[in-house]
Amino acid sequence: MKKILPPNAKISKEAKEIMQECASEFISFVTGEASDKCHKEKRKTVNGDDVCWALGSLGFDYYAELMKMFLYRNREAEGDKVDNNQNIKAAVSYTPFSFNVMPG
Amino acid sequence: MRQPGAYSGLLAGGISGKTGPHSLPLARIKKIMKNSNDEVKMISGEAPIVFSKACELFIEELTKRAWMMTLQAKRRTLHREDVASAVMNIDIFDFLVNLVSENSGKSEDPQPVTEA
Repeated sequence: MKKILPPNAKISKEAKEIMQECASEFISFVTGEASDKCHKEKRKTVNGDDVCWALGSLGFDYYAELMKMFLYRNREAEGDKVDNNQNIKAAVSYTPFSFNVMPG
Repeated sequence: MRQPGAYSGLLAGGISGKTGPHSLPLARIKKIMKNSNDEVKMISGEAPIVFSKACELFIEELTKRAWMMTLQAKRRTLHREDVASAVMNIDIFDFLVNLVSENSGKSEDPQPVTEA
């Protein structure tokens, strides 16, 4: 909160407490919507896409768009890490030519 | 040194620990998610991280709006009622109306009582 406000601004203890409660309520509210979606689609795990969808569904369109981009970027980054590991394994096991035993 | 904007920093960051610790504790976020609904059984690793960033945006917006109320009242200290006023003024924050009303001890009755 302090980062957003001017340097001479002060925040009462009660304001900080209510902000914490609001943040918790925000998480519960969006999670409920995401969870309903998972339940309807007969899935057990709430993932990042469900959270993004729930944000959009509840009117937080701007947040939803930003979070989608954030997820996309992170999945790419995580995918690169996985790819690097898999490439090492693939290089060991990959044989470009299959040595078939010729019938005869 | 040029400081990145709030949102460019948000998008440039990554899930891995390389970008530094998250602002909000992921374990607590996960706990709130599980407690929110009995149907929530499993949560993917990325969901709390998305919430961490989303909560940052949420807190930023609510704080800015509340500060506007503080300035209107010609004060420099942000009080609980400023947060409550900001919530009342924004449609998408309707889900918080009961929360801020309970805390301020007011009973909110959005529908006016009209006599027949």
